[in-house]
Amino acid sequence: MLIGESWLVSLLNSPSPYSEALGLFAYAVFVGLLVIVVDYFLGWLERKIVAKAQLRHGPTMVGKFGLLQNLADFTKLLAKASYLPKRADRLLFTLALPFMLALAIFLILLLPLVPSFGFGNFASSLVLVFALFSFTPLFIFIAGASSGNKFAEIGSQRSVLMLLSYELPMIFVIASLGILAKSLNLFAIVQAQSKMWYIFFLPIGFFVFFVSMLAELERSPFDLREADSELIAGWLTDVSAPSYTLALFLDYTKTFFGSLLMAMLFFGGWLGPVLPGLAWLLVKALIIAFFIMLVRATAVRMRIDRVLRLGWYVLLPLAVVNLIIAFIV
Amino acid sequence: MGQALQGDGLTTKINVGPIHPSTHGVLRLVVELDGDEIVNVEPHIGFLHRGVEKLMETRNYMQDLPYVEKLDYVAPEAYSEAYISAVESALGVEVKERAQYLRVVLLELQRIASHLLWLGTFLNDLGHFFTVFMWAFADRDKILRLLQEHAGARMFYVNMRLGGLNRDVPPGFEEEVLSVLGDIEKRIPMYESYLEKNEIFMERTKGIGAISSHRAIELGVTGPVLRASGVNFDIRSSKSYYVYDKLNFKPQVVSSGDVFARYKVRMLEMKESIRLVREAIRHMPPGDAVGMPIRLIIPAPKNKEVRVYRETPRGELLIYMVAGQQGPYRVSFRSPSFINLAALPEIAKGAHYADLFAILGSLDLVIPDVDR
Repeated sequence: MLIGESWLVSLLNSPSPYSEALGLFAYAVFVGLLVIVVDYFLGWLERKIVAKAQLRHGPTMVGKFGLLQNLADFTKLLAKASYLPKRADRLLFTLALPFMLALAIFLILLLPLVPSFGFGNFASSLVLVFALFSFTPLFIFIAGASSGNKFAEIGSQRSVLMLLSYELPMIFVIASLGILAKSLNLFAIVQAQSKMWYIFFLPIGFFVFFVSMLAELERSPFDLREADSELIAGWLTDVSAPSYTLALFLDYTKTFFGSLLMAMLFFGGWLGPVLPGLAWLLVKALIIAFFIMLVRATAVRMRIDRVLRLGWYVLLPLAVVNLIIAFIV
Repeated sequence: MGQALQGDGLTTKINVGPIHPSTHGVLRLVVELDGDEIVNVEPHIGFLHRGVEKLMETRNYMQDLPYVEKLDYVAPEAYSEAYISAVESALGVEVKERAQYLRVVLLELQRIASHLLWLGTFLNDLGHFFTVFMWAFADRDKILRLLQEHAGARMFYVNMRLGGLNRDVPPGFEEEVLSVLGDIEKRIPMYESYLEKNEIFMERTKGIGAISSHRAIELGVTGPVLRASGVNFDIRSSKSYYVYDKLNFKPQVVSSGDVFARYKVRMLEMKESIRLVREAIRHMPPGDAVGMPIRLIIPAPKNKEVRVYRETPRGELLIYMVAGQQGPYRVSFRSPSFINLAALPEIAKGAHYADLFAILGSLDLVIPDVDR
């Protein structure tokens, strides 16, 4: 849609050694821009969806349908003073957020956005994506613990605790996908769904994956690390406004990543008639993101011990059932 | 601060408030945590102390009225009514019959509005992102509009006068009340099914912060918190005032004593209040409801002591007043929020940190009322 795929492919197939590097670079820049545009749109979408659920209008004044409101807010946040708490570990505290953001964008870069081309086209790229994705809670822990704030510390501890509850069910679901597709290559998994989307084979697996993903993305009802009514802002308590824009950006990048991944693993990714592959993928991802946001508008936050119980007593058995189904199919 | 907030090595002390999203104003809690378990909670109050009781001694009876309303900004009508009836009994003024009915209508409308506000903020404390809050506020706004039609103000009404109200209700008021009540009556079951079918909500409220009925009486908690522990005590029936006994008022009691019970009691009370308002409107006699003009103050008998008990939305309010010539010689409030807050350390002990806010929210504190 946005990108001339054929142009990229021809560039890649040309004999010059520089052209491949150039193609990869062009692709990376394109993905970066795509992430910025989609994140911005997701930010607007979330405000509108939550507002509709709450008998409000959401942003309406700045730009058409309030589309420019987030830009105005972003500018305002950037104009505010930056502050580093005295107790904070300067290096870790300032680096954690940019690093997490870079990681999230890199993860999107690994995903198969278009059929012909991408960084993730090698065996077991799905495993790599998950290995890297699991670093996020670790960075949250570093960011929270390095800020020297007790609320942030509790938030970061919760983050690590929660890791125990959703990581294992998620890995089981991934295993079931690998069994079905007979590959852990992301491209192969999407291509294997050309006859039938995996959601129809593994509805339980999708449920487990969706819930674990909500936890992984720290979306409500698993927003225990931020938990504004308990921990003020959790691990972000001492983050001042300019860096907070990064946190918001990170939040939406992760949501985008999560919805993309679900669209690829269960809804056939770029597969679809008429429209170009990327358009199909974005439409599917946005629909999933819509549901993630709807959950936020309606859910009550869970308690940490209940999240662990949910992970071990509900999600894990379901994931095992899902694995058995995958074997049978 | 650093020194005071060190735990003993195994525990962590954290400072919740006075600026914190869930302390509803300026309450400071020093929470001692062992892991996720609460070892001790220490409420620090007084950040909003304005010396209202002393201030009231320097004004005359009617000038004091707006001050009383500002004690509890969530249910100002209940407070101004309690104060004005203390003045009435000090000065020996009879309340006109129509005014008695109208006061019951206004008080019960105020109770519904207050409980709706509580519902919204309570859900926010549980981490529900403002959805029920906005719904409840939309419903509460309908009631505020009704009260505004009578008093001319949305928040602080100052519409009580000695022996009655500042004016009779505008024509068509009763019909409007009935139609708004019809709306809200339909909405309450919606809230109930929305919340009680939500497993996470039930998990976060059932069995959390329970008080036994025996302990509730010992702690002296009042209002919905007391009735949620299965104690059938409501000033509206036990020391009935105005026409509550004629309207067949029944206290709403739930026995489990936990956060969910406190939620349930308030939901039941809203339904009961709707019924009470309807009854009151049906039986309301025609006639005069206007009280004495503001400037007319009867000299009070010297050093007459009055005690007035009222069931405000938050619980039992006692106003103790020694009457002076023009204004009160001394006024003292035993406010329900203060009493309920005193029970917090015991209820919260041993709970999870996240439950502290469920418990705190379920007590329905209004901090200006605690600090006075």
